[in-house]
Amino acid sequence: MKPKRDKSIIRRLVSSYITTVISISLVLFMLGLIGILALSSKRLSDYVKENISFSVFLKDDVKDADILRLQKNLDAAPYVKSTLFITKDMAADQLKKDLGEEFVEYLEYNPLPQAIEVKYYAEYANPDSIVIIERELKQFPQVSEVYYQKNLVSLINDNVNKISLIVLVFSILLLIVAIALINNTMRLSVYSKRFNIKTMQLVGATKSFIRWPFIKASVFQGIFAAVIAIALLSAVISVAERELDNIISLNDFSLIGVLFGIVILLGVLITALSSYFAVSRYLRLKSSELYF
Amino acid sequence: MEENYTVQIENANIYQQDEKVLSEVNLKIKKGEFVYLIGRVGSGKSSLINTLYGEILLTEGEGTVCDFNLKKIKKREIPMLRRKIGVVFQDFQLLTDRTVYANLKFVLKATGWKNEDIDKRIAEVLENVGLIDKIKRMPHELSGGEQQRVVIARALLNHPELILADEPTGHLDPETSEGILNLLTEISKTGCSVLMATHNYTVLKKFPNRTIKCEEAKITDLSETVAAIDFDSLKED
Repeated sequence: MKPKRDKSIIRRLVSSYITTVISISLVLFMLGLIGILALSSKRLSDYVKENISFSVFLKDDVKDADILRLQKNLDAAPYVKSTLFITKDMAADQLKKDLGEEFVEYLEYNPLPQAIEVKYYAEYANPDSIVIIERELKQFPQVSEVYYQKNLVSLINDNVNKISLIVLVFSILLLIVAIALINNTMRLSVYSKRFNIKTMQLVGATKSFIRWPFIKASVFQGIFAAVIAIALLSAVISVAERELDNIISLNDFSLIGVLFGIVILLGVLITALSSYFAVSRYLRLKSSELYF
Repeated sequence: MEENYTVQIENANIYQQDEKVLSEVNLKIKKGEFVYLIGRVGSGKSSLINTLYGEILLTEGEGTVCDFNLKKIKKREIPMLRRKIGVVFQDFQLLTDRTVYANLKFVLKATGWKNEDIDKRIAEVLENVGLIDKIKRMPHELSGGEQQRVVIARALLNHPELILADEPTGHLDPETSEGILNLLTEISKTGCSVLMATHNYTVLKKFPNRTIKCEEAKITDLSETVAAIDFDSLKED
């Protein structure tokens, strides 16, 4: 009978330990997710901004050599990410596809101008810069008109700012929730040992001597939980890389390293401080107050 | 002369949460003396004991325990005082989450013993209380009497000058209580003072010692006032 009972007690202790570790690791995992979101939100907004295309329409009588020169000039400009020359035929093909109608035959000529499609770097894709760039482009003699969706540009910029603010507020809230949850978990496990803490004081142990094993154990739990959280985060990152190739590309290893470092640091710091304060609380209490 | 006393309390007023429970306490306990402390529940026995080991701070009167001045003692000196006192309490038993060996080891580690001396000392005290074969057991696997003897063993670890026992026989049957009393008496013969609070008058009768009574916020030394204690009258309390 006896060995069997011992095993069940050990199993119960182990399972409560694991429950603590898992609850901490889930909280850390949530924090890490928000971190990834914050890291990739810049990339995401850049991706969207750099995919707004600006059509630089060219006059019909411009020679191919001039067009090529203009394209080279544009490529050399600091604000241009990529350019694509679109001939009249290509424009017609595209429009034909969009409309599903043989409009060239119908009209008997191709009214579409030749154009260069320009994509800007994210830093320049905001309403203010675009106006300046537009003015600059119009000074080229080959250019007849610059076309882009003005609303789209300001809409994207407004929304990106709003989303970053929301992400920031959300991360702060989540951090507070994480601290509260971990703190509660640690306090519960210290509470279950409050009589032992008092007994230790009665036999002449100093406060720091009593505190140290609790802090050591909780730091181990914190590290253990952080490792689990990092494993989960790595899985999320690798799935995201595969599924959302261009949008969330997290191949920046130093950045991810910093994120994982923060997860471990938070895990250790929050658990250690929580158990420090929890133990100190029971060290201060009189023995008659322990029963509450 | 003065050094022969482990406990010296003079004109002390003892408070339990702003309420005066004992006034004008005068108490001297000699080295190796065995003293009973009796009185009703709430008469201040526990408060007196709590004062002696620094759980309640002495604010009025003078007091010295094991060469520590209770009035001037600093918070961080309290652990040092407690290393000279062995406590055997009804409530605060063993550390429930570890074996007998680990319980005793904790105390020695906490009081700065070297690793090579620890095992030897643990074997000595367990031999003293006759429980050397239970060294690897968990507290919940022991009977009440055995647990109490381990607690006494723990109290002995640091060669205390004073043992404070608050109802050490509270949960125990008469025979086991007798065993505990024999043990405490033997300990007192080695020069360690014992102050034991108790309700167990059978024990008082069987092991007569100096007896102090807490009553109406005063303590009185019964052995000084009456030649022989009338146990039957005590029982009616």
